[in-house]
Amino acid sequence: MEAGSIAASHATATDGHDDHAHGPPAAHRSSRVDPQTLGMLLFIVSEIMIFGAFFTAYFFIRVVANDPWPAHGTELPVAVAGVNTAILLSSSLTMHWALTSVKNDNRFGLRAGMLTTFLLGATFLFVQINEYVHIGFAPHDSAQGSVFYGLTGLHGAHVFIGLTLLAMVTVRAFRGHFTAAEHRGVEVPGIYWHFVDVMWIIVYSSVYIL
Amino acid sequence: MAARLRAPGWYRGAWTFALGIGFAYGLTILLRSLLGADPVLDGNAVLTVALIAAPLFFLVGFGGFDYWFYWAAGKPTRPEDHSGHGAQSWKDYFRINTDHKVIGIQYTVTSFFFLLVGGMLAMLIRAELAAPGSQFVDADTYNGLFSVHASILIFLFIIPVFAGLANFVLPLMIGAPDMAFPRLNALSYWLLPIAGLMMIASFFAPGGSFSSGWTAYAPLSTDLPIGQTFFTVAVQFAGASSVLTALNFLVTIITMRAPGMSFWRMPLLVWANFSTSLLVVIATPFIAASQFFVLLDRSLGFNFFQTGLAAGNNGDVLMYQHVFWFYSHPAVYIMMLPGFGIISEILAVKARKPIFGYRMMAFSLLAIVVLGFTVWAHHMFVSGMQSWIRIPMMITTAIIAVPTGIKVFSWLATLWRGVLHLDTPMLFALGFLTMFTLGGISGVMLAIIPITIHVSDTYFIVAHIHYVLFGGSLFTIFAGVYYWFPKMTGRMYDETLGKLHFWLTFVGFNMTFGPMHIIGLQGMPRRVSDYAEKFAGWNLFISISSFVVGLSTLVFVYNMISSWRGGARAGANPWRALTLEWQVSSPPPVFNFDAVPTVVGGPYEYGIPGAVHGIFKTPAEAKPAGTVATRPTSE
Amino acid sequence: MLVLGVIASAVGIALALTINWFPTQASTQAADIDHLFNVLLVVSIPVFVGVEVVVLFCVWKFRMRPGEELKDGVPIHGNTRVEVVWTAVPAMLLVGLCTYAYVVLHRIEKPLPNSMVVNVTGEQFAWTFEYPAQGAGGKAVTSDVLYLPKDRPVQFRVRSADVIHDFWVPDFRMKIDAVPGLTTKYRVTPTRLGRYAVVCAELCGLGHAAMRQNAYVVTPVAFKTWMAKQAGAAGPAPAGGGAKTPAGGDLAARGRQVFTQSASPTCGACHTLADAGTTATTGPNLGQVLKGKNAAFIRQSILQPNAQIAKGYGPNIMPPNFGSTLSKQDIDALVAYLEKVAAK
Ligand code: HEA
Ligand code: HEA
Ligand code: HEC
Ligand code: CUA
Ligand SMILES: [Cu+2]
Repeated sequence: MEAGSIAASHATATDGHDDHAHGPPAAHRSSRVDPQTLGMLLFIVSEIMIFGAFFTAYFFIRVVANDPWPAHGTELPVAVAGVNTAILLSSSLTMHWALTSVKNDNRFGLRAGMLTTFLLGATFLFVQINEYVHIGFAPHDSAQGSVFYGLTGLHGAHVFIGLTLLAMVTVRAFRGHFTAAEHRGVEVPGIYWHFVDVMWIIVYSSVYIL
Repeated sequence: MAARLRAPGWYRGAWTFALGIGFAYGLTILLRSLLGADPVLDGNAVLTVALIAAPLFFLVGFGGFDYWFYWAAGKPTRPEDHSGHGAQSWKDYFRINTDHKVIGIQYTVTSFFFLLVGGMLAMLIRAELAAPGSQFVDADTYNGLFSVHASILIFLFIIPVFAGLANFVLPLMIGAPDMAFPRLNALSYWLLPIAGLMMIASFFAPGGSFSSGWTAYAPLSTDLPIGQTFFTVAVQFAGASSVLTALNFLVTIITMRAPGMSFWRMPLLVWANFSTSLLVVIATPFIAASQFFVLLDRSLGFNFFQTGLAAGNNGDVLMYQHVFWFYSHPAVYIMMLPGFGIISEILAVKARKPIFGYRMMAFSLLAIVVLGFTVWAHHMFVSGMQSWIRIPMMITTAIIAVPTGIKVFSWLATLWRGVLHLDTPMLFALGFLTMFTLGGISGVMLAIIPITIHVSDTYFIVAHIHYVLFGGSLFTIFAGVYYWFPKMTGRMYDETLGKLHFWLTFVGFNMTFGPMHIIGLQGMPRRVSDYAEKFAGWNLFISISSFVVGLSTLVFVYNMISSWRGGARAGANPWRALTLEWQVSSPPPVFNFDAVPTVVGGPYEYGIPGAVHGIFKTPAEAKPAGTVATRPTSE
Repeated sequence: MLVLGVIASAVGIALALTINWFPTQASTQAADIDHLFNVLLVVSIPVFVGVEVVVLFCVWKFRMRPGEELKDGVPIHGNTRVEVVWTAVPAMLLVGLCTYAYVVLHRIEKPLPNSMVVNVTGEQFAWTFEYPAQGAGGKAVTSDVLYLPKDRPVQFRVRSADVIHDFWVPDFRMKIDAVPGLTTKYRVTPTRLGRYAVVCAELCGLGHAAMRQNAYVVTPVAFKTWMAKQAGAAGPAPAGGGAKTPAGGDLAARGRQVFTQSASPTCGACHTLADAGTTATTGPNLGQVLKGKNAAFIRQSILQPNAQIAKGYGPNIMPPNFGSTLSKQDIDALVAYLEKVAAK
């Protein structure tokens, strides 16, 4: 949907179609932020709130009810997840690399950057799923289990959304879209991807470390 | 035919929908066989997945995402020839359309359809309650009736109808050619009917419709038959729809205002929708999450709310209520603030006076937004939560009456020494003023804990609900629909029928919901299909009056339909209003403006000779006029 | 206009105070809460009436007269002084009300000396009341009717066996949810002899409307004797010969009376039975489904409702605890009665 908001504006006349031929008068721009970025930021606000709600569940189980964390007789693969964290963070860096490259017309940098970002993200997701398989407890064993799967699963879902966005951008990058002048299509999904990473740091530290 | 099946539209939608159901079967069978579950084919599992997948597949087929798929694949996107703009025939209202005016009407009409459905259910509720004992529905169906009644009227009527009206007038008001994200706008509309039909369809689910009220408290909602899942999923669709619209409004208001339209020159309707959208974007994710919890507990055996487990492993039942109300209290202002906006527009125009204390009106909106997030637990005074939370919540809740009071009093002051045109929109506006005040005051009584301890979960609450939602929100909606009817349809509504509608509604409404305060205090609990003998008299009276309300609604429907088809032609500006939407023809031209207007003064400068709000000139030409009407809004 | 407002408010208050809003005051809490409510009325009626008066006055004074179609109002943009006033006054009013409310809240929840404890358990769809350490030899006594001695403070400790319920006695005014996984509490001091309804106020499923039982406030002496009787009756009652006697008139008559009254919740609350004149539809119409059913089946359906589920109905709806809340004689009487009805 974010991809939608990116493309769905009259302002992006550069997406290979003409909005303004016999269209409406160009809207007056009453703000310095461009609609796409603003839209994405607002969307991220509500995403943060979704996580907020899941953290509320976490809070009620772990703090209010003061139950052991993780549930008795289970432990969490802190190390593996730690490596995974590193992977995801590095993907943020490559994303940034891709953006800077497109900004100064380095097409190779753009493509390579997008590709590595995508692959790193995919690896993260894979490791995560693998972790689920071997972790040794199920959502229905305990409320803690539910919260654990709830939070990490929710984040996993967002990684997935992020990956679909990245895939789109990558495809377009290889098809020669985006220029130094017009690269919002890379920038805005980038913002989302960075959000996904930051969110993971919060999830990781509160679920695994604390 | 083959072409039709490939082109976006109902045909392609149909088969992708079927595909979605197939997908549901495939996925569930696959997963269950992988996990070695048995039987491999489980009806409920399939139904659950289908409820989520089928609508999405349908939207894909229907064309909701086409543009973005092209974009994603990097194909040259179809040149936007604006065939999507404007509606030539009624058919155009039944396809993806990116014109905010078309979408606005789609929204409004759809949600009024759901008002009739929800109202019809209310009539059944009243028929059942006309006498003690059970008339013609059993307890389970009854619980279904009021649950669907409330869910439909809240999620499919009040919230979207405001979004609809705003969709139509807001871009016009701020001098924008359209919303910021037209395709997103179309998508968020089409999510609505899906949610609504899903809720209605739940009546045909095995085990009956969802029956845990619109609040769907766990663990009841996690125990009920599959009908409950229809609610859980439908709410997700409705929620997504309103978040996307809110996002769209915010971006439109921030980035697409006409030159000269500073925040302090925006009509209060725009301010109201700005505040509401903030609430929606921040709060709605919480109800989404609360229903995710329920869904996970129901279908994947999670334990967010199960308590029978080993010590230290139990879920927390109250957590649901906290998360739910953290959305659903702000939601009540989501259902009221746009109404406040409508009333401000109408009172200023119909009293031929500037809004009294314009800036305080805007600030009080924002104050309500902020305070709205600090009071959720006033719905949990008897829930058994930690008792200390109640006190701060009581105080914040009571304090909300202050900004709301500022609005009410400022509206009264706006009437003062005006020239009141007492036509239908104005009547409904005044009706709102009086009725909402009553509902609000009963709200303040509910904030007072010792009172709530007694009246919580009684008909006193039901009375409060309807005084604020019907006497409040619905009255503003009626007012707004009558007020903008000429603009939307280009025709005049029938004034006499309008007045008749008002008086029938006003009287019937008070006779229906007034007595509920008494039986509530007397001890009649809510959500019961059967009640003690001593309440029989009042309930019969209430039921009879409720049919009056019902019939009055029919008058309204008739008036709308007949006037739309055969009403007298309306001029561009029948109310002599200053705001921009009235400066263009009725109905407005396809692209709203040939050239974006320039705003040179406040929106409500009535009574000031030669005052103008916006003019169709470029900023450069406009300058001189600017000096005329820009006065400080308070002196 | 001010005069008008004052008069109207006065009339309004007078009216409102004459209306008897509440059910009987049967506890000290009730008295406090009712008084608080009256205070609220006195405060809020002027607010409401004030708004009404202004609206009506404007409609009468400033409405458009013929010929004024194009006339405009006076362009008043605001007036800081009045705005401050109508922000400050309600604020102070409300803070005042909250403080008073806090005082009342504190009073009605205050722990009192020599108060007794009753454990209340809600389950779909019945209440059970347990008097800890009251029975013979400190045994707990359980009952499906709530007996309370007059003027003795009591604390209820409320639990739930399944979903959320809400334990409410309207005449006492107090209520609290019965939450699975929690024990919630409140206190009342009954002040008035009589029989009051125990109501479940939180939607808890099909039988929610039927989850009604009885509370009796009795003299301390009467309470003692009742308690003694319970303590004696605790444990399986000596098998009365009742069951063996043929389904004779008197036994069946007793059964009918159990069906319509003494069972709690009463069978009639859920079942239609022409002979007993009940019309509820939560459970099957016994007049029909029991045709030709034998005593054994009926007994089982009452003692273990979930053993066989009547088709078209869900399990866990009919309370499973009649075996314990009804005495053996009553069950026998019921069975005999239903058997007789089924036979005809
Ligand atoms: C449009 C929707 C709407 C609105 C605007 C409100 C507004 C308010 N509501 Fe209400 N409320 C609901 C919809 C709404 N409510 C619904 C649907 C429920 C039931 C949910 C369920 O199903 O359980 C509910 C339930 C509800 C409860 C929970 C009751 C219970 O379940 O135990 C409480 C308790 O505090 C409450 C309080 C308030 C207050 C203080 C306001 C305030 O915002 C009101 C402020 C307005 C005024 C006060 C009037 C104007 C002000 C003046 C004239 C100034 C002077 C006034 C004074 C000095 C008093 N509401
Ligand atoms: C915007 C919200 C809204 C609106 C408009 C209404 C409108 C009405 N409501 Fe509802 N109601 C709620 C929101 C709303 N309600 C909520 C949130 C609850 C709480 C649910 C819960 O506990 O979870 C509730 C609960 C509720 C109850 C309590 C149920 C219970 O607790 O047991 C009752 C009972 O009388 C009731 C009645 C009515 C009536 C008679 C109308 C009337 O005003 C309806 C008038 C409209 C029509 C009648 C439709 C138009 C006419 C036709 C379609 C033609 C048919 C007409 C005839 C046959 C005469 N409502
Ligand atoms: C809260 C509602 C409720 C109450 C109270 C209740 N029942 Fe039932 N009863 C049901 C429901 C629902 C069923 C059908 C499901 C089942 O068989 O358990 C049922 C089933 C029965 C059946 C079996 C019918 C059949 O054909 O299987 C009998 C007999 C019966 N009830 C007798 C009684 C008697 C006697 C009482 C009072 C002591 C009583 N019930 C109180 C709800 C109730
Ligand atoms: Cu138990 Cu309602
Ligand atoms: Cu609220």
